[in-house]
Amino acid sequence: MRKTFGIVMIVLSAMPAVAQERSWLARETAREYREQARFPESSRALRPGDADPVKEKRTATAQTQAGPEGKGALSVRAESVSFEVGRPIRLYATVEQGIALEVTGEIVGAAGDLVATFAYADDGRGIDRKAGDGTWSARVRMPEGLQPELAASYMVKVRSRLLDGDIRESMGGFLYSNPAAHLTGRYRDELRDGSLVILAEVDVTRAGRFHLAGTLYSMAGEPVGTAQAAAELEPGRQWIELSFYGLMFHDREVAGPYRLGTVAFATTGGMPNALNDLVENAHVTRAWKLEQMTERPFGNQRLLEAAARLEKQ
Amino acid sequence: MRGRRLAAAAVLALALFAVAGQASAQPCLIFVHGKQTNTNTYTSYSSARNYWVNGSNDFIRTATKEFATPYYVIGYNGTRPYWESQSAGEVANEIVNATNGGADAGGRRCATTYANGGTFWVVAHSMGNTVMDYILGNNDASDPNFNYNGPYDQVAARISLVISTGGAHRGSQGADAVCGNNNLFCNFSAIFIQSCDDATYWLRSSDDVQVRTYANAPAKTVWLTGGYEAIFGASACLSGEDDGVVQYASIFACNGSATASYDNSNVCNNSNKQEASGFRNLDACHENHDDERNASDSDVRKAIPGGNWLCNGVPCAPNTTVQSSMTTARYITLLY
Repeated sequence: MRKTFGIVMIVLSAMPAVAQERSWLARETAREYREQARFPESSRALRPGDADPVKEKRTATAQTQAGPEGKGALSVRAESVSFEVGRPIRLYATVEQGIALEVTGEIVGAAGDLVATFAYADDGRGIDRKAGDGTWSARVRMPEGLQPELAASYMVKVRSRLLDGDIRESMGGFLYSNPAAHLTGRYRDELRDGSLVILAEVDVTRAGRFHLAGTLYSMAGEPVGTAQAAAELEPGRQWIELSFYGLMFHDREVAGPYRLGTVAFATTGGMPNALNDLVENAHVTRAWKLEQMTERPFGNQRLLEAAARLEKQ
Repeated sequence: MRGRRLAAAAVLALALFAVAGQASAQPCLIFVHGKQTNTNTYTSYSSARNYWVNGSNDFIRTATKEFATPYYVIGYNGTRPYWESQSAGEVANEIVNATNGGADAGGRRCATTYANGGTFWVVAHSMGNTVMDYILGNNDASDPNFNYNGPYDQVAARISLVISTGGAHRGSQGADAVCGNNNLFCNFSAIFIQSCDDATYWLRSSDDVQVRTYANAPAKTVWLTGGYEAIFGASACLSGEDDGVVQYASIFACNGSATASYDNSNVCNNSNKQEASGFRNLDACHENHDDERNASDSDVRKAIPGGNWLCNGVPCAPNTTVQSSMTTARYITLLY
């Protein structure tokens, strides 16, 4: 018996990598759904160390294109994901491992129509922060008459001529938005069924569907959770409610006051959506107590049902 | 002697029980193809079905364990942006049809309807995943584009999970190159990206076209696998490891820049995805973008951070070779 056990152990230790057992994927997915089911889909707690997802979605990222043999990449980015109509478009370009003599750009519409040509500068003037630091900057005004009904996507084609004569090209983009409503800057907060509800006032100029998302922070600066809401609104001043499910405050053991750190508003109902500028540090709530918040898991039935089915597999 | 007979009978009974259990617990696999340069997969079932075939190699045959597992093949217009009615709308409607027991255009249907307790796993390739991200991220009334052009809420309620192979979750630098007229240098595969058509335009890596800008976290978990076999010419234009069309930052739905450079050792783990929840790593394979969907290259598989391979009972270190010869289609059979 001992000998058999020994042989089995030797065989096991010599076994190559194995995939998790066959039912692992179903079980692991079910476990995740049971955890997520503690919150409604419209409001989720963030884990310690999580980034602010509302801010992340509105923060422009760089698009990097390597040169031949992976050398001398050209990175381009816009200042933000979207620019509201009338705002200047601020664009940046950086050549890595190389010295650029000039950087030029073209703004091109989705149909391939050339909208503007421009030159970037690295001279420390205007929006360029520091001369000769390798980050080239441009501020471009979109031509009059290009106001989209909702929003339009534009490509930014960037070309850089280097000191050694090489050319680098890269491609970025931005959204040009014409939102049908704006946040007025007025907020109020109240407690409802053990959850924190923050109401944001919006000024609607054209009827439509609107989406609001926000991230709540502790006063120590830690993101606690997010909430989102959508509503069909008529023209005029209206309120939209963000409901932060109470359990998140117990999970993170954070009492009020809370800071509405980021708010993202958008006009939806058509693609692409028109994105308003991100608002930061919008509101500080009253000093709600932890005991006032619900400790009851939400019990998202859709996720619990999915978990149950997976657990049978 | 009697003891041996009893033991043999017990083993046989256990084996039969296991087989029976496996049959009753099988999910129905729903296949969603990727980007197309024409509308054939939308108008012709054989085109949609053949998307998964290369000669005698058949991804669907392998993934369904020689057709023992029920399956349904979706065909949508892969030349349209991921969010349009002929893409996301069509896919959503077809998934609901599959879960209702309806047949696909080739007459195949799932064995058990959702109402009768069936489970449904979506297997998506390339842009099929961008489409699924849009659907699953707009399934709730609080989402920005709720039920935009189809029953996204029903899809999210009825499917159990998604297995993503070579997913363009963050777009493709190939699309950047094609739309930037940089294609001569990069020489992208004409099968997937021929010109800067509307679908390609919306698969670029800039934020204004990214699906995450227009969707929330997916309502059902998306499990990620993808290839790192380069395609000569094309891969020169892609950052880090790639499958010749889509770079790792996109295949593995990483946060930050869609053009960041990753490999099997450092690709984003499960805490650094494009959304706060809903994306999980499985593994990586030495397949190119074509191989990922037609099971024609049985090759090396590698562990990645947070993936599902075990070495001596613990998660394998990233970049460990975990299989010397296994297609993604065969790998899927290990998951159910």
